[in-house]
Amino acid sequence: MNIKAILSAPPSNRMWQQYQSEKPQRLLPVGAPLVDQRLHGGIAQDGLHEFFGADHSDGTAAGAFAMLMALRLPDAETHILWVSGDKERQVSGRLHAAGLAQMGADPARLVLVQAADMRDALRAAADGIRSKAAGAVILEVQGHARLIDLTSTRRLVLAAREAGVLALLVRGDAAPMPSAATTRWQVRSAPSLPLPGNVPGFATFDINLLRHRAGIAPFAARVTWDHGDRIFHDAPLSGGLSAGSAGGKTDPELRRQSA
Amino acid sequence: MRLVACDMAALGLGMTPGMALADARARVPDLAVFDHDPQADRQLLEWIADGCERYTPSCALDPPQGLILDISGCAHIFGGTEAALARDLKMWLRRHGLTARIALGATPDSARAKARFGVRVINALPVHALDCDAKVHAALQRAGLKTVGDLAARPRAAFAARFGKDYGRTLARLLEEEDPRITPRRAAPVIQVALNFAEPVARTQDVMAAITHLAQQSAILLQERGEGGRRFEISLFRSDGHVARLAVDTGTPTRDAALLDRLFGERIDTLSDPLDPGFGYDMIHMAVPCSEHLALVQAGLESKVNVKAEKAALIDRLSVRLGPERVRHFHMGNSHIPERATFERPAQAGPPSAFRITPQMQEPQMRPFRLFDPPQPVEVTALLPDGPPRQFRWRRHVHLVHFVEGPERIAAEWWRRPAGHEPGKGGPTRDYYRVEDSEGRRFWLFRHGLYAEGGDPRWYLHGLFA
Repeated sequence: MNIKAILSAPPSNRMWQQYQSEKPQRLLPVGAPLVDQRLHGGIAQDGLHEFFGADHSDGTAAGAFAMLMALRLPDAETHILWVSGDKERQVSGRLHAAGLAQMGADPARLVLVQAADMRDALRAAADGIRSKAAGAVILEVQGHARLIDLTSTRRLVLAAREAGVLALLVRGDAAPMPSAATTRWQVRSAPSLPLPGNVPGFATFDINLLRHRAGIAPFAARVTWDHGDRIFHDAPLSGGLSAGSAGGKTDPELRRQSA
Repeated sequence: MRLVACDMAALGLGMTPGMALADARARVPDLAVFDHDPQADRQLLEWIADGCERYTPSCALDPPQGLILDISGCAHIFGGTEAALARDLKMWLRRHGLTARIALGATPDSARAKARFGVRVINALPVHALDCDAKVHAALQRAGLKTVGDLAARPRAAFAARFGKDYGRTLARLLEEEDPRITPRRAAPVIQVALNFAEPVARTQDVMAAITHLAQQSAILLQERGEGGRRFEISLFRSDGHVARLAVDTGTPTRDAALLDRLFGERIDTLSDPLDPGFGYDMIHMAVPCSEHLALVQAGLESKVNVKAEKAALIDRLSVRLGPERVRHFHMGNSHIPERATFERPAQAGPPSAFRITPQMQEPQMRPFRLFDPPQPVEVTALLPDGPPRQFRWRRHVHLVHFVEGPERIAAEWWRRPAGHEPGKGGPTRDYYRVEDSEGRRFWLFRHGLYAEGGDPRWYLHGLFA
């Protein structure tokens, strides 16, 4: 979908118009047509996007989805800054270069930052965004973090908009709290389409848009990663899990909006 | 117990080092004595040496109580003569309650001997200054040779034949004929710039302004040499003699004053114990101990961001703030064991290695996204002892295995073990399984050992797939 089609798409409400008028958006398409259609073309390439693990052990899926979105950036030479803390490395394991290479990433383009605590991690992420050295900055936060609040996320959003950098926030094992993020997603590992011989197949995710700053209605989808072309495809919603019920936790802000 | 050292007052009372404590007490009953603490003496000497770096970057310890400074080319700052420098040094030491005997010489040995024996002319030095043993000393005395001057007047060859070549060399060094140079305690930097203050500065802003100025100066000097520094050190000389040192390392050679300014700002912000200016700093040094070739770069007319420079700057900045070992790149390891196949190294240590792993288009990922090191133990139920897992318990949750692929057998590195080439001694083989549970999560499990290898092999979870 090109930019003309996006602009000509019927605005869903006033917020969408406002969102459009602020600044011409560079949109990063997810790749799966069904998802991009709902998103009017993709997620903002210069915004902050939050990815929550749906369950206590879905932090891996949230982290992987964020990493894959960073790989979707059109500039294949750009660097990716992965910021995490000692706790994240302890709980969710370290990034594995061989696995990343098989996902379609070039591990040599990754810069790993391991901060001692949340404050340092937030500062490192903000510096990474402002420096424009990396096309994408991913901040991984495990569990409840008091420092990730409206103020700190607003700061990241402004920095990302200013620098034109894709900022991604990965929240494993945490309940969604009010934040200034451009979009908020809930990510869950989904059963893959098994390959012949009942062998686990390609990486598949259930993604659930919880909140969009421009007021795009929440929706759920299932996507599969194609590491050859570095693109997401729509996955058939098979199995017991239905897309509508994918959201395990409800978003407090969403509830407030609908009330 | 014996006296090791005495101060001037004690010497005046007739005490001498080496005297028995009982004798000394018998003479002066209320003599104040302290335990000998060589460690503290050494620390004091180091402290004085730090302070002496305000005179010259090249300074060597001569324990137990000597310091040798190489002041070649340093005197011009203190009015042009070496004597003026020595006077200034003596004043500085006196301000800190230290008495010192200072002597100037063309070689370290001559200066040292003059200071030790308190003479001004080398020829007047006693033959003791040769550091010779008692037998040689006695022989010299018997020959009527009392001073170094007496020795210098004689033919050197006979002397060397009688007492050995070493004494000839010592004599040559004393007579300033041979200069052995000193080995400074800190290597002389490539570039050093200094800033003196008439009034000590104490505010952090003033210190930062001074650092900015020094950074600009060293940038100019580096540019003249066509080089960039990899390490920059700031020495802050406090007026009470204490010296604080701050250093920043950079991943690539640089002479960007603005960048250095930022890095030192970060460094000061992240000090675990903040700078204590006390009564202020009266001198600030910046040294560049390590530099590399750095060519001039033509700035482009287009406003495109120089990503490479930005990345290097970001890495330096984060490394200074968080510590170099917390900012890393991936590198290929030389092993087929998954946790050693790739490793991480500080990003400042060098660029990442090129990865030769190409994804198989028709295959899903065979290696996990996240890896646990060490692997996490899990309880596994399998239908057959050597078969794939059916269910497993990890972090108090039971996972039912729906799809499974494996085993992928990875042998241990038997060549690392003594007698590893003998059957059964190479270490346990790992059988890896890629599994997906009923909820769609994908795991990488392995059994550490085969049943054929004996024992009761344990199961581990090694990684998580996307």
